[in-house]
This record gives sequence, C-alpha cells and structure tokens, in this order.
Amino acid sequence: MLIISSLKIFRPTCSRVVASSRYSTSTVNPAEIAHFSRLSSQWWDEAGEFSFLHQMNPVRGRFIREKLLEVARDEQPALSEPSSSLLKGLDVLDVGCGGGLLSESLARLGAKTLGVDASEANISIAKLHAAQDPGLSSSTTLSYLHTPAEVLLSDTKRYDVVCSMEVLEHVDNPPAFLDTCAQLVKPGGHLFLSTISRTALAYFLTIFMAEDVLRKVARGTHTHAKFVTPEELTAFFRAYPKTGSPWVDAGRGPPTRTQAEVRGLVYNPLGARWILAPRGAWGAAECNYIFWVRKPPSQN
Amino acid sequence: MLASTSKTIYRPTVHRVLPRFISSSTPEEWDVVIVGGGPAGLALASALGSSKLVRESLRVSLVEASDLSKVHEWSPVAGTFSNRASSLTHKSQAFLKDIRAWEHVDEGRTCPIQDMQVWDGISDARIEFSASLLGTPGHGMARMTENLNLQRGLLRHLANIPQVQILDKSRVQSIDLAEGSSWPLVRLDNGRVLRSRLLVGADGFNSPVRSFAKISSFGWAYDTQAIVSTMNHPPRGAFMGPNTTAYQRFLPTGPIAFLPISPMASSLVWSTKPPLATALIASGPDVLGYMINAAFRLPDVSMRYLHNLILDAHESGSPVTPPQIQTEIAWRERSHGIEETSAYASAFIDATKQGIPPADAESLPPIVTSLQPGTVASFPLRFNHTDSYLGDGQGGRTVLVGDAAHTVHPLAGQGLNLGLADVECLSRCIQDALAHGGDVGSRTALLPYAQERYLENHKIMSVMDKLHKLYSTSFEPVVWARSVGLEVVNEFDSVKTALMMEASGQNGRGTSVWDVTAKVVENFAATTDAVRIIGTGVSGMFGAGIQSILKASSTSSRK
Repeated sequence: MLIISSLKIFRPTCSRVVASSRYSTSTVNPAEIAHFSRLSSQWWDEAGEFSFLHQMNPVRGRFIREKLLEVARDEQPALSEPSSSLLKGLDVLDVGCGGGLLSESLARLGAKTLGVDASEANISIAKLHAAQDPGLSSSTTLSYLHTPAEVLLSDTKRYDVVCSMEVLEHVDNPPAFLDTCAQLVKPGGHLFLSTISRTALAYFLTIFMAEDVLRKVARGTHTHAKFVTPEELTAFFRAYPKTGSPWVDAGRGPPTRTQAEVRGLVYNPLGARWILAPRGAWGAAECNYIFWVRKPPSQN
Repeated sequence: MLASTSKTIYRPTVHRVLPRFISSSTPEEWDVVIVGGGPAGLALASALGSSKLVRESLRVSLVEASDLSKVHEWSPVAGTFSNRASSLTHKSQAFLKDIRAWEHVDEGRTCPIQDMQVWDGISDARIEFSASLLGTPGHGMARMTENLNLQRGLLRHLANIPQVQILDKSRVQSIDLAEGSSWPLVRLDNGRVLRSRLLVGADGFNSPVRSFAKISSFGWAYDTQAIVSTMNHPPRGAFMGPNTTAYQRFLPTGPIAFLPISPMASSLVWSTKPPLATALIASGPDVLGYMINAAFRLPDVSMRYLHNLILDAHESGSPVTPPQIQTEIAWRERSHGIEETSAYASAFIDATKQGIPPADAESLPPIVTSLQPGTVASFPLRFNHTDSYLGDGQGGRTVLVGDAAHTVHPLAGQGLNLGLADVECLSRCIQDALAHGGDVGSRTALLPYAQERYLENHKIMSVMDKLHKLYSTSFEPVVWARSVGLEVVNEFDSVKTALMMEASGQNGRGTSVWDVTAKVVENFAATTDAVRIIGTGVSGMFGAGIQSILKASSTSSRK
C-alpha cells in the first residue's frame, strides 16, 4: 500500500523499462541480489548492518564534490562557487543505489538523481524512506527505478555523473558492467566507482574481520575473488573504448589527475569514521578505494 | 463519588479534543526544532541563522514556554546587575563574535577578569593567575557577562534573521512519533504540531526532549546549595588596580567566589551546606553581607563558629541581627589579632572612606557594603551527565545540548561555556552535513558532535567534581598536599604559564582561568587521592606532586 502510494511520487523518468527477461544478459548476479534483498529492511538502520556504508557516505560525497570542483576550476579558474552547489541541476545516475544512501545526498545537493537497483526490495525501501522526507518527496529531483543498469542503455538519456558505489565487487562480469556505466556517461561527464581491492589486507579486513570475527557485516556479503584492484580499473580505462582514443592515456604508473584518480578510503575504528586518504598516499588504496574517471569531452 | 470524578476528568477532554484533532491532521514541516530559549538554545538558533547555507536550505524554529519579549526588552537600571552571570571564556566569546551575536551584547555591562586569586580556607595557601602571563592584554582571561545580557544580545541578533522563527509563549505539551515514521512530532499547547527532521533539546535539566528520547543519565546531588547575589562595594582606590580580579576561597563548607562585573558591583557565588544556606538567606541581606566579608577574611575556626551561631539562631526562630553579627565578627577579629586598620578587618570598617589602602588589600576583594535588592537567591548543586547526547531507535532524530545533556558544579562557572561549546560543535556538524547533502537529523550527521563533545564535557565535569571533593575536606594530609601544591605552582611562573598555555590551546582560543585552575588542581587531586590512602606518606606525595606538574609543563611545551 505504502509502496504504491510512494510510486505516485516517484514517477520514473525512464519510460522504456524492458521486462525482466533481459536480466539474463545483464551483469546482475541473482545470488547477490537475493542476499541484499534479505538485508534490505536494514538499509536505514544507521547503527546496524550498513553502519559502515552510512559512515562512508559523507566521504564519498566529499570526493564527488571535490573532484567536480577541481575539474570546474581547471576549466574556469575564476570559479567561486561553493562545492555544494556544483551538483545543482546535473543529471546524476546512481547504479546499485541500495537503500538510497548516496542518492538522497545527491538529490539534496540539487542533482536530478535517478537511483537504480536490481533488487526490487531495495528500491521499495529507498522509495519508502525518501517519501518520509518532505525535502525529497515534495521535489522532483529524486526518482528510483527497479532495473539493471544495462536496460538504461536502450534509452537515449545520458548522465553528467554516473556513480556506482560498492557495486563492482558484487557483479558477475566487471568489464561488461564498466562498459555499461561508461556508456551511460555524457561526453565530458564523470564516472565514480568505489570498491575493494583484491589484496590480502582486504581479505583480512573486509571478510575475516568484518564478517567472521566482528560480525559487523553479514556473512557472505563479500567474495574475495570478485574484488578488483585499482591497477586493473585503471588498465581497463587505458584500453577503453576499444576503438578511438582511450579515456586514460596509455602508460605505466598512476594516471594524470585530469583523466582518472584513485583515492584510498581508510576506516578509523577509534573515531568510527572513514578518512579519504590524500592523493598518492602509500598503501591507502590496499583495501577500500574510490575511483574517478572522466569521459573525454570529444567522445560520444 | 466515582461518577463525579470521572465527570471532571471527562469535561476538559471534550474541549481539548477538537483543536487537537484539527491540528494533528496538519503538522508543520520543520528541519530543526530547538526546544528551550535559554542561552544555549538561542545561541544555536543564532549560529544556524548566521550561516547562509543553513538559511537557504533549512527551516529552523525555536520553541520557548516563556515570553521572550521580556528578555528582548530587558532594560536594567544603570548600576544594577542580574544575579545570574557567567564568566565567558575566550573560546565562547570568539564563537559569539564569529556568529556576529556578540555585537548585540552590551559590552559596557560586562567585565574582563584580568587576575584571579584562589586560596585555601584552612592553610591560606594561594595561587595567583594573571592574564598578562597569557599575553592577551586588555581581554582578560574571561569576561563576566550577565546571562540576560547574552540572551538579549542573541535575541537582537535573531531579530535580523527572519528565516529562524521563534515560537515563544508556546509550551511543549507532548512529543511523540509521527505515525509510521521515525520523525518526532512536537505538540504545542496552542495546538500547533511541528514535525521535525531534527529535534534539539536545549530545555535544561528536566529536559522533555530527553524524556521523549528515553536517554538516561547518571549523577548525584552535592550536599551543597549555591547562594548567588549581586554585591555593591566602593570602587577600588587610586592606589590599587581596577576591579577586575576574581577571588575564590575554598572553605571546608564550599567555595565562596567574588566575580567582578563593574567597578562598583560584583557577583557572588557562595556554595555551602544547604541548612547553612537557608539560615544565611533567612538572616537577611545585611547579615549576609557581613558574613560574605568575613568569609573571605576570617580563619576557618572563626567561620565555623559564626556558621554555628547563625544556624542556632535560625533554628531557635530569632535570626541573628546585623549589629549582633557585626559585634561577633569584631570580637573574632580581635581574638585573631587582626587590627582595625588591617585588610582582614571588615566588621566596623567604613568602606567608603578613601585613603592609602592597607597592605594585602589586593589579596582580598573589596568590602561589600550592601546586596542589591532582590538579587539573593539560591539553588542546589548537582552533577548530571546523560549516557548519550543522541537519541536512538524510537527516539532518533534528537540531540541534546547544554544543561539538558550535562549539569555541572558551577564551581568554575563552566556550565554556560560547556553549553556554548556544544552549540558551536553542533552547528558546525549540521553545516558539514548540509555541505555533503546529508540528512541533518541522521545519526551519521550527528555522531561527530557526540564524539567531539561527550568526552570533552566529561573531562571538565570530572575535574569540577574532583575539585569539589578535594576542597570539601579538612583532613590534614589533604589540606597539606593541596596547599603545598598551590604554593609550589605559584612559585614557578614558567610552570604556571605553561599550564595556562596548555589550557588555552595553541592559538589561545580556549583560554579560561577556570581551565587553568582545573588543570592545576587535577594534578593535585591525583596526588591527594594517594595521600588519603597512604595517610602519612607525605614525602613521596610531595615528589609525585612536583613530578606531575613538571610532566604537565613538559607535555605542554612539547606541543
């Protein structure tokens, strides 16, 4: 009942939603979706299952704003806008939005945000939560859609910013998923990804400690083999797209700051908060990290 | 009988049901609802209102039961001062200046504290602090400000910020949860219902917001009552400094403090045993005035005698008269060999006579000639700290500031400063959350506030508590230890400066004379606790005392 009424508020912006038969060709992993659907009711318990994500959210938001500000300043050195108003009016897509943690923040900053998730339960929770907030339910800046990202490619709409936070480590075919996300970005637009690197440290912290020992995160949330390293991500965009000039120049070592950037996200258990490690900080991206890449303005 | 009672109960509900029903169907949407129009609540409203980001993105209201226009139009007669005044630290002042509220405070009615003298009631061991050690000439260590002066300033500031709505003369009737949601609904007695993204309890010790959020607290009442008053006295003579020195003497019954607020008026905070406080107040302002002068001057044995005299007279139903107490004090002075020209004589001194002041005159506050009418009041002292500053679960989206979160022994006038520091931090956290698109009522947005303030407040409150316990004993080794400690620190200006610098923070923001005293005494408290256990292990204690002081100075110089 509640879900139906909130549906009225969140009229989907994407009119051509293809039936779920398309799921077979998507990168969505059914077992993963079942896992998160089971946990969906806990998305907004800030002290519960997803407390790590809640605490990470301000840091992710900060990185997005800082990077947009940096690019905007590179292009117009005289810019004096505060970083919080940079997102105003931009088309933003949040792929794998879960309960809408990041989508709500982006919408509050004025972005025309669409959150999509392959789990119907997640989308219901996200809509329900946003409907309680008069600041979000009365505006038209936030909408949610239950769909895998691949389906959005059939629409012509593209986005200034595409975010996919803590999703890459859960998909079946990372290159295909990255290709989908990349296609959804407007020329000159931004792609933000956050995920976990495939290292021994990451296994120790995110699986052994968080899931097995401390039980802060539900068991089976992460699979070590599915983790992607920052080098692999960078390498992907050095060879992407297959034809035409790549998003990141070929070469070794870290990419130039105008093309891509990797920043470590380090959890400080004493302060119970996440820290965005400085650029190039040694060893900071050994576990959680956030990645930004820009689509060349000339590319379609 | 039963029928008639149920009738009386039934009748009023009929009248109340209708407006409530109408109002509850249309709750107003607010982002921040502050309950409580005291200094902390008004400061938070001002701080939020002074931020452009907040003004543009949040709807803020403040609910207060009383009529705030009386505070807004407060116009005291020149020379008279309210009995509720606080020593605002530099940090508090810097915050108020930063939010541009301080410019609305009448600075002419405030007074900087340039020096401070603290001494032991039994041993007379003394420590002196001077703002000149801090290198902040003219600004003092703290500034005595009437709470009403601050509140009026904040209201004047808020009058320029129409975005922040003040709903005064509105009592909170109940707080509950909106149906099927975790957002609190604040129901006012005028029928309005405020649905709030963030509910701030700035509503004092008996906080309704805290009850709603089911936040428990722990604490205890000290067996102590604080008498406050505004004291009249002649100005300091031509050969003495201005009236900018605070005096505090620790008597075994509790500390008595003299806090300057103008050249001819100062604020009294006298903490003492509740029966004695009752008897002192019942004896009338003249007797109280004589007793204040004596309490700063006479040895402890005589103070005990005078206390008993006043208590006995009060119990017998014939309170001590002014001439009687005057004669008694004069007799005690003679028995201690205090000459009539001494600074320690107060019974028959004509304080209005100017001349060359006696030796030691600056070690003591001016002689009190009268108490301003209607300013004598008293309140019980207590220690109270909530288990959390944030509501949880059903009580989510609530946060406590100021006295609603913590009630502190006013030994060092820290209560208001702690409240303002809470407000500064909370308003910063709210603005941070706004900047990254956060929900200002969420736990994620508020957690940094609780993390930053809880431990900090607890630290200062514990020191106040220790101070109280340390000085409410006449157990000899403890008296000895605390007096040696004070004397030793007083001899070393460099140690004292180091302590003051440490307390003030590297950039001199948080300077407070009280922080410094607390710091000094914190070290002694540790050593005297040991004394209490060992009983006679005096020499070892002495070494430890010095050690802890030197350690404190070396850590601060490392910074």
